Amino acid sequence: MSSSLRRFLITRILLTIPMVLILVTMIFFIMRVLPGDPIRSQLGPRVSEEQADALRERLGLNRPLYIQYFDFLWDMVTLDFGTALTQGERPIRDELGERLPATIELTIPAIAITALIGILSGAFAAKNRKKPIDYSIRLLSIAIYSIPIFFMGLIFQIIFAVRIPILPLSGRMDTLLLTQFESITNFYVIDAILTGNWPALRSALTHLIMPSITLGLALTGVFVRLTRVNMIEMLQSDFITAGRARGIPERRLVYKHALRNTFIPILTLLGLQFAILLAGAVLTETTFSWPGVGRYLVDRIELRDYTAVQATIGVFALFVALISLLMDIIYALIDPRIRY
Amino acid sequence: MESEKINKEIAPTPEEVPEWLLDLDKVGFVRRLFLARKWYGGDWWFVAISAVLLLFFIIVGIFPQWFAPYDPRAEVGPSLLAPGEPPASYLLITPLESGDIRFRDISDRTNNIGFIIGSAASQAMREATDELNEDAPEGVRYQPRQQRYETLEEGLQSLADGEIDGFIASPEELGGTLEDFPTLQVVSTLREVGESGFIFGTNQIGQDILSRIIWGTRIALIVGLSSAVVSFLIGVPLGLVSGFVGGPFDRILTLLMDSLYSFPGLILAISIAAVLGAGIGNIIVSIAVLYVPTYYRIVRGQTLAVREELYVEAARSIGTKWTTILRKYIFPNVIPSVVIIFSVNVGDAILTEAGLSFLGFGLPPDTPDWGIDLARGQDYVRRAWWLITYPGLMVTMVTLSFSMLGESLSEILNPRLTER
Amino acid sequence: MAEKELLSQIRNLSVEYKTRLGQVSAVDSVSFDIYKGEILGLVGESGCGKSTMGKALMRMIQPPGKITGGQIIFQGEDIMTYDDNQMRDFRGRKVSMIFQDPMTSLNPTQRVDEHIIEAIQVHEPQVKIEEALKLAEKMIRKLGMQKRRMNSYPHQLSGGMRQRVMVGLGLVLNADLIVADEATTSLDVIVEAQLADQLKDIREEFGVSLLVITHNIALVAEISDRIVVMYAGHVMEIANVEPIFDNPLHPYTRGLLKSIPNIKLNDTEELYKMPGEPPNLTHPPSGCRFHPRCPRVMPICKVHGPDLTEVSPGRFVKCWLYIDHPEKESETIKVEA
Ligand SMILES: Nc1ncnc2c1ncn2[C@@H]1O[C@H](COP(=O)(O)OP(=O)(O)O)[C@@H](O)[C@H]1O
Ligand code: SF4
Ligand SMILES: [Mg+2]
Repeated sequence: MSSSLRRFLITRILLTIPMVLILVTMIFFIMRVLPGDPIRSQLGPRVSEEQADALRERLGLNRPLYIQYFDFLWDMVTLDFGTALTQGERPIRDELGERLPATIELTIPAIAITALIGILSGAFAAKNRKKPIDYSIRLLSIAIYSIPIFFMGLIFQIIFAVRIPILPLSGRMDTLLLTQFESITNFYVIDAILTGNWPALRSALTHLIMPSITLGLALTGVFVRLTRVNMIEMLQSDFITAGRARGIPERRLVYKHALRNTFIPILTLLGLQFAILLAGAVLTETTFSWPGVGRYLVDRIELRDYTAVQATIGVFALFVALISLLMDIIYALIDPRIRY
Repeated sequence: MESEKINKEIAPTPEEVPEWLLDLDKVGFVRRLFLARKWYGGDWWFVAISAVLLLFFIIVGIFPQWFAPYDPRAEVGPSLLAPGEPPASYLLITPLESGDIRFRDISDRTNNIGFIIGSAASQAMREATDELNEDAPEGVRYQPRQQRYETLEEGLQSLADGEIDGFIASPEELGGTLEDFPTLQVVSTLREVGESGFIFGTNQIGQDILSRIIWGTRIALIVGLSSAVVSFLIGVPLGLVSGFVGGPFDRILTLLMDSLYSFPGLILAISIAAVLGAGIGNIIVSIAVLYVPTYYRIVRGQTLAVREELYVEAARSIGTKWTTILRKYIFPNVIPSVVIIFSVNVGDAILTEAGLSFLGFGLPPDTPDWGIDLARGQDYVRRAWWLITYPGLMVTMVTLSFSMLGESLSEILNPRLTER
Repeated sequence: MAEKELLSQIRNLSVEYKTRLGQVSAVDSVSFDIYKGEILGLVGESGCGKSTMGKALMRMIQPPGKITGGQIIFQGEDIMTYDDNQMRDFRGRKVSMIFQDPMTSLNPTQRVDEHIIEAIQVHEPQVKIEEALKLAEKMIRKLGMQKRRMNSYPHQLSGGMRQRVMVGLGLVLNADLIVADEATTSLDVIVEAQLADQLKDIREEFGVSLLVITHNIALVAEISDRIVVMYAGHVMEIANVEPIFDNPLHPYTRGLLKSIPNIKLNDTEELYKMPGEPPNLTHPPSGCRFHPRCPRVMPICKVHGPDLTEVSPGRFVKCWLYIDHPEKESETIKVEA
């Protein structure tokens, strides 16, 4: 690694810190400063004031706000998120450790679907700009963008789980199989392969189909648009004209030269789209009763378990920052023009 | 050789070209839109179609009472009626010997009334009883006991034997069986036949789905438009100030906005909505926060670009008022983008609102709201597709109209994509 | 120059762009010839249709533009009748093009050798990578670049080197004609001179013809054998270099020459600024397209357009001063051979 690249990476990583800090701070203050007492709403009205105070004492909530804030930041840094207030008061780190693999298992195929469909049809539309096929692709992509992701999921459920019951309605695995399923990594697909449990693998895969397609499709709308706009610009650039003048076939110009160069801006945009992906995951997980982080967050917000909520959102923030960092690094690696 | 040239065509004199057409950059963007029809045929139609759709939705949103056949909160029919399916009517059967009686005469607490297990007769009975209780004098309460039977024959037999006082069955269930029981008679109809049913069906508590989705338009538009207006009102001035003032203020604000921008909007909205509690105002605030950075970024960018340009420097140095700079240099450049963003923003806000209420954050539970209806419909996904399909389609169509408007506007107005 | 052999004939070529303001007649009924091994200069103010002409020659006009008429005969074949495949083979193998901006005319994510190998393999798929690589190396060396440049990305090269790579891309397939559209414009003066010299060397060494498109008449004077002067989509004058500089016939050519600092018609004249602006080609002037700016305009010029006429061997002019017409009042000027 060249020293200039190293310098670039270090600056980039340093820049990520204030971003995460701001998000985490924002969450802390939203949860704590906005009206509403987490303890009261958590314990309900019937619990006496003494008991509430005792709980505050125990959680350190009676200390000054700024001390609590730094405490919270420290927890974030050490990745020790404390224990949840509800449902067994387990360490939040353990709970997230179980939920995170589920979310990742869902999002990876989703991203693959999005990238494949989105980039190809975006490039195709750009190549045929202003022709009927371009308008159709665009109309379709706006339509997909406008469908609430949970509605899409529910419609898939109605069609493929109720009307033509070929896929399971929800969950990660058949409950029967789950009782004797040995989970090592909490990535069910990987675990099933590791333990050689083929029926479980089959079940895990079939359960994965609908949620991941839903999430993936929902994101294609945005992606087609991004690819198309960037491709149109790219196709107007000089080196494409020059290539054409050299007799390079049109297909090669579009799908090799232009598309490869379009990847670079798209990649940065992909980093931004990651936020949409996470939001989409929350809704998809709710629709398909998928026990991931998104569903966990919603559950805990409903229970007003503010330690769990703070920690989860903090993890989300970390995730977003890390992905955007990762994208920038990949960008730097694949674009020969970047000078650090 | 010479003669050939004489016959050469005389070049036509230039036609009159309207001044404003010659310099497209000077044409206001509204007029450019009309010009666009020729050049962006498809997109122009997208704009036109979505504008018409939006007009329709807005009218529906303002005057839902003109369109909705029923009160969206009222139980107006039996529950879970499929679209178009008329509510089944039910007949009350009594022994001949009790003579000409009505339902009221046998709905005391001591009376027994039978029906077939699993039929909707129990509901018809409940409705009839409720109706009686509404007009009942003080202190009187109708509540006949229910007797469930496996088969119709069993029930009718026990009625004929005098074990129960009446039996409720639909004409379909009854068929010709009554002929085998000469001692029984049909005395009245519990629910009127001939109603045409509900075009989009009813939900699990018997509310009319059509009326609910029509009233849902109002909520969606209120939330979508107001939150977009709020983001606009915060984001645009912040962007202007930030771009103009520059310095550390600008840098800090930009960092703040970028962080906000990169965070999953829905999750932020959930947290805010959860803390603020249910209520339409809170929802609007939670969603408005998400879009502030978008306005901020575009307006700040434009302001910076304009500020860099010499002519503003010059304009400022000769003492032009900043309001003039705004009006003459900045607004013309940002208005097209802001219009596009606003349109997409409203669509997005409606989607986010639906998402929030689907997750159970936000509006009070009985609001006629698409997201809430979808969330409730999820419990009936196996039985009643219409609970999900119609509100979902409404969200999609309204969002689609707004996004299509924004997207096509941007295709027409985006200078990066326009050819000469 | 001895017996000249024809390479290409352009006849009545017209190109129009459809724009929001109407049809732009960017190239209107243009005719000229290109000979083997010559450097032909195509000059004119910017916006007069030079680039359009260059692209039209390779049938590379993209919508909203369209070739609306005329013929392009190349080595005896009318390429207007070629289908897409023949056309693709024609581009690159027969004619190649260099563009104005060397920064953007190479694919930023491809190395130099990848560019050259691609150019070879697209036209001759049977050539092996190693052979292509050897050819590429030879070409790079011929162009006076070091071998290690083969592995460079475009952004690692200077502007002059990039233009040389572009030239090399045209030459590896032994193209017969290289169209250089403002190829030196964005380079600084010294590099520009170097590239100009190099173009001449290349002509000697490879025997290619060059069509040098530029608004810089001084450059053309330096490197070309013949000159085509364009104005507002029309060819105004065609001649060998010396006669055109010694005795420009067309009023536009005169104006053009007078406006360059070091070539003056006679010592008494000040540096000249041509009045007016080039016309808007959606609504070109009637008659002679130059008449609104012409210092010698006659009544007939506003009514009828003159044809490009051979006034002495190899010398063509499109101006009523040199052509007879019954409605003309003034004397027609005779041109000595
Ligand atoms: N893609 C295009 N769309 C519309 N008009 C164009 C396009 N390209 C060129 N033109 C018009 O054609 C005329 C000639 O342009 P061009 O060939 O680029 O001139 P030059 O190369 O001599 O500067 C100009 O008036 C220009 O406005
Ligand atoms: S034809 Fe007339 S207007 Fe045109 S250049 Fe000649 S003299 Fe001038
Ligand atoms: Mg040009």
